[in-house]
Amino acid sequence: MGLPTPILEPDVPMVLRRLLRKRWVLAVVFGLSLIYFLTSTLKQEERTVRDRTLLQARDPEHRIPWKVRFDLGNSSRQITQCRNSIQGKTLITDELGYVCERINLLVNGCCDINTPSSRQFVCDTCLLGGCCSVYEYCVSCCLQPDKKLLLERFLNRAAESFQNLFTAVEDHFELCLAKCRTSSQSVQHENTYRNPQAKFCYGESPPELAPI
Amino acid sequence: MTSPRALWLFSIVALLGWRLPQVGSKREGVSMSPEVLHCPNCSQLTLKVEFSTKVVEHEYIVVFNGYFTARARSRFISRALHDLDALVWRIMPRDNPASDFPSDFEVVQIRQALPQGLLTLQDHPYIKRVTPQRMVFRSLKFVQTPEPGSAAPCNDTRWTQKWQSSRPLRRTSLSLGSGFWHATGRHSSRRLLRAIPRHVAQILQADVLWQMGHTGSGVKVAVFDTGLSEKHPHFKNVKERTNWTNEKTLDDGLGHGTFVAGVIASMRECQGFAPDSELHIFRVFTNNQVSYTSWFLDAFNYAILKKIDVLNLSIGGPDFMDHPFVDKVWELTANRVIMVSAIGNDGPLYGTLNNPADQMDVIGVGGIDFEDNIARFSSRGMTTWELPGGYGRVKPDIVTYGSGVRGSGMKEGCRSLSGTSVASPVVAGAVTLLASTVPNRELVNPASMKQALIASARRLPGVNMFEQGHGKLDLLRAYQILNSYQPQASLSPSYIDLTECPYMWPYCSQPIYYGGMPTIVNVTILNGMGVTGRIVDKPVWQPYLPQNGDHIDVAVSYSPVLWPWAGYLAVSISVAKKAASWEGIAHGHVMVTVASPAENTSNAGGELTSTVKLPVKVKIIPTPPRSKRVLWDQYHNLRYPPGYFPRDNLRMKNDPLDWNGDHIHTNFRDMYQHLRSNGYFVEVLGAPLTCFDASQYGTLLLVDSEEEYFPEEVNKLRRDIDNGLSLIIFSDWYNTSVMRKVKFYDENTRQWWMPDTGGANVPALNDLISIWGMAFSDGLYEGDFAMADHEMYYASGCSIARFPEDGIVIAKTLKDQGLEVLKQETAVVDNVPILGLYQTPSEGGGRIGLYGDSNCIDDSHRQKDCFWLLDALLQFTSYSMTPASLTHSKSRVAPPSSVSEHPLPERLEGNHLYRYSKVLEAHLRDPKPRPLPACPHLSWAKPQPLNESAPSNLWKHQKLLSVDMDKVVLPNIRPYRPQVRPLSPGESGAWDIPGGIMPGRYNQDVGQTIPVFAFLGAMVVLAFFVVQLTKAKSKPKRRKPRVKRPLFLQQLQQQPHTGRTPSV
Repeated sequence: MGLPTPILEPDVPMVLRRLLRKRWVLAVVFGLSLIYFLTSTLKQEERTVRDRTLLQARDPEHRIPWKVRFDLGNSSRQITQCRNSIQGKTLITDELGYVCERINLLVNGCCDINTPSSRQFVCDTCLLGGCCSVYEYCVSCCLQPDKKLLLERFLNRAAESFQNLFTAVEDHFELCLAKCRTSSQSVQHENTYRNPQAKFCYGESPPELAPI
Repeated sequence: MTSPRALWLFSIVALLGWRLPQVGSKREGVSMSPEVLHCPNCSQLTLKVEFSTKVVEHEYIVVFNGYFTARARSRFISRALHDLDALVWRIMPRDNPASDFPSDFEVVQIRQALPQGLLTLQDHPYIKRVTPQRMVFRSLKFVQTPEPGSAAPCNDTRWTQKWQSSRPLRRTSLSLGSGFWHATGRHSSRRLLRAIPRHVAQILQADVLWQMGHTGSGVKVAVFDTGLSEKHPHFKNVKERTNWTNEKTLDDGLGHGTFVAGVIASMRECQGFAPDSELHIFRVFTNNQVSYTSWFLDAFNYAILKKIDVLNLSIGGPDFMDHPFVDKVWELTANRVIMVSAIGNDGPLYGTLNNPADQMDVIGVGGIDFEDNIARFSSRGMTTWELPGGYGRVKPDIVTYGSGVRGSGMKEGCRSLSGTSVASPVVAGAVTLLASTVPNRELVNPASMKQALIASARRLPGVNMFEQGHGKLDLLRAYQILNSYQPQASLSPSYIDLTECPYMWPYCSQPIYYGGMPTIVNVTILNGMGVTGRIVDKPVWQPYLPQNGDHIDVAVSYSPVLWPWAGYLAVSISVAKKAASWEGIAHGHVMVTVASPAENTSNAGGELTSTVKLPVKVKIIPTPPRSKRVLWDQYHNLRYPPGYFPRDNLRMKNDPLDWNGDHIHTNFRDMYQHLRSNGYFVEVLGAPLTCFDASQYGTLLLVDSEEEYFPEEVNKLRRDIDNGLSLIIFSDWYNTSVMRKVKFYDENTRQWWMPDTGGANVPALNDLISIWGMAFSDGLYEGDFAMADHEMYYASGCSIARFPEDGIVIAKTLKDQGLEVLKQETAVVDNVPILGLYQTPSEGGGRIGLYGDSNCIDDSHRQKDCFWLLDALLQFTSYSMTPASLTHSKSRVAPPSSVSEHPLPERLEGNHLYRYSKVLEAHLRDPKPRPLPACPHLSWAKPQPLNESAPSNLWKHQKLLSVDMDKVVLPNIRPYRPQVRPLSPGESGAWDIPGGIMPGRYNQDVGQTIPVFAFLGAMVVLAFFVVQLTKAKSKPKRRKPRVKRPLFLQQLQQQPHTGRTPSV
């Protein structure tokens, strides 16, 4: 009905125009772009999924280049200044593995070992799996000399997502401070703890899922 | 031949569609894409195209069966009209480029239009039809749509579309579209002159500190954001970049992280505060703005290990119940990391504070513009952690420039952005610079820095503390205070003056009186002496006898341990019985002593102590009459977090969660102000209904309640109403099918989220009101209507299913939204009963008013308010005055009988309300009510009267002890004079980009979006040309077989709607 469409003199080369006019060419072009589009998005999706699970799963092949020297925290050595766990609400753990109340902390950062409340290598509240309900006890327990093997084994198998953290750790004390903190291993559904009662773990496995 | 076009269009739509849903993701509250993305056409002007047509006399269009040359056409017409000699006709000349080509029609002028002339024309074999010529008039109109309603058309009304994921969901609707512009004075102003925002560091006079040689050196700053590219020219001291996301890159693909880092530490062009500070870049957001709590946990651990001093978090979300995250933030500050975080971009609505900025140990930063107005987007209102029993804390802590601030561009150069996540790095940069000025770094900790910032902040006039906190950042005063700082405790707010308006809103908006619910002020104790501390003995209440301090009773509750660096001190104030009919002002103070283990003394067991006074000033009035007193039930209002409580207005799909607290001082603030201005006294009940003396109150207000009721509450309320208490209920929707429909998959928790109630818990309400023969239905209605000369909008509400026969019921015509949600069908229902008024029959019994929708008194997403209706209902309940406009309304219908066709809603099977409920507890099959808890009991502090008077001006009293402002001398402090020049039109866009910045809300880099759009545009153009080409080439081809052609056209014409040629 309408006016016939005026035929424009083509400025596109004839061959190209002919080619583009062909239905199968268009179909091929479209098909290729669709395939490219789908594969790239699917690949990305897949990668996302894989990366998410990587945070949980451990890659047996990968070893993080840790450089922890365990002998530094040796309790036989005399030290005048102590590092400690800083953050505690009432308790604090020094680098010799003593747990004391904050009020019994000496000016050099060490626990006053002469007060009865100070104890070394305390595993109170810690479960068999290596998870504790009190951070300070977790650190203290982790500083036990016999935990060295366990920690080395963990470091050799640690997930890639912890690479940043555990390659920066330098000695047994720093390792225990870092290892006992809650991390991506401690949560399920992102916003809830796997086990709110025992969430600080020096051991290899994440906290056991607490029943809802 | 149409298939290529359709396919191309499909692929483009697919491309677009694929990108969009990915935007709104993750970490609690990382917000969604900007509003503009969701409703690109959502301007306040609507273009309306109207057209009218008119028949042109004596002219006819003759349509042929095919394309013929002009000569052929003329021949056909003359032959057709050959028999009618008398006819005067001529062919109207058409002078256009197409006239050289064959055409299929002709315009003919026939003077004496005879029916048979037209008929003979139509008889000609080559002529298809003859129609009168019409002239078409088209007109364009710009229609001003009413502003409050503008949100409605913006939201997608197709229900098939999946709701977007959970936590990130925050308000994006009303606040940004119009608000941003207002905040920057762009639309509001007649101002032609405006201060050109030079570099924000200079406006805050950082150059004074730079000249003194302080540039942030030696301070480790962590930027938790979208990363930073390696060789950005603005940064000289990037110590480390780490990636905590699942994308294998360290670079910033969005520009947000670069901007934030630039505000803190850029050294050239748009200069940051602390160019020599040590930057640690933590990439915790993907380019799709995805982030997970677990990424943050690991990254935070690394920040602790690296002994970061200052950490900027320009992120936030509503989920303060994310315990792993909240605990981790506490752990960070406990390790002396000074956390600075953005308060959120969800203003101007109250109750919109974001976590972690709402934590006591974090410096929460709000935004202002360069004219010292609170930026409209800045989140505000009290914290909602403490509801329903307590009262929220004051947040943000301070405000600073967050609108049109210049910072580093993604690759190079500078750009401007707005949002509280711009304001946050301004403070983080200032804190970094300040920390580097202190010789004894031991003194700098999260508490002392916060104390210095809030003690030095400049209060903005006319703004309340729940919007501005302690005021605007003043870098130089903070420098002075910090450099004469002695470890001590301080309070935020530092005094309680319930008479001071507007700063102490809402306290100042309602005087206290005997018998009222105690007024609670939730004060934060900041303890600069150590990460942990305690309150020694008990806080002491010392009334000033000369100033009637004995007329008030004070009860104090407080954190058993102040950790980390902070704790609360909740002061409940009540009027003593002897002042029941007294009017006046009473003064006193609360004295608190805080002790912390001393870490620097040689003997173990030493403690540092600090004593602070909290002045209290209140206005007392005689107890108002019962009819004036309204009680707001807070106890039965539940909200997100922790559960999924859906929004009351189902159209607001971008914000499906009800998370603003549902308190009269958060999202029911306007309603509260309205009631106050009408002389009502509104009190809040944060305990079960069994815990109030009903003889004191005229009306109990139950609005949008999600909680269940204890059986004891139901019984008590019945007795109360028999004894003269009145009840007003604003209900909301509850339909189990719709609830199942609005479930969504939350990517953060990787779970399906099913709502635990509807907009309100209608089954529970029905249990409460069934004794009076009343019930709400499970219907879901929506629509505009007029009631008593007021425009009303019913936004997803229910109807009244049962009502006593002697009650007054008003019905309206509404749309059945349930049907729309479930089946995408539109149905209009007449006579939906939505309002009911009832006088209970017992002697002196109270009255009951029911309304099916709460959205019109709620500030969030409200389109048309109905405060007039609340007034009318209160007139009815308080004074038994039935509004004539309602009783004599034509909409009045007979009350729905108890045998209604609408079934009453049943509780959604398998709902998890018991997990969040204070009333229910899990039971084998059905959750059962818990035993009724004891009513809260305040133990009033034993007063220790003082025979002295209060200082005259409370807020100017010393906020920090032993700080001598004169001791620290600043070299050559020049007052900064903003450079003012006329704003040229082209310039504004350069730095006035709207769009918040909390990730997800901010502008995408222009440089990044342009290629995307250019690419898409090119695709469209390409597709168009391809279609044109194929079309053009096929035309002559088809024209060749002339014989077939008319046939084809004819067939096509006969089937105009199917669009396909019949195959037979």
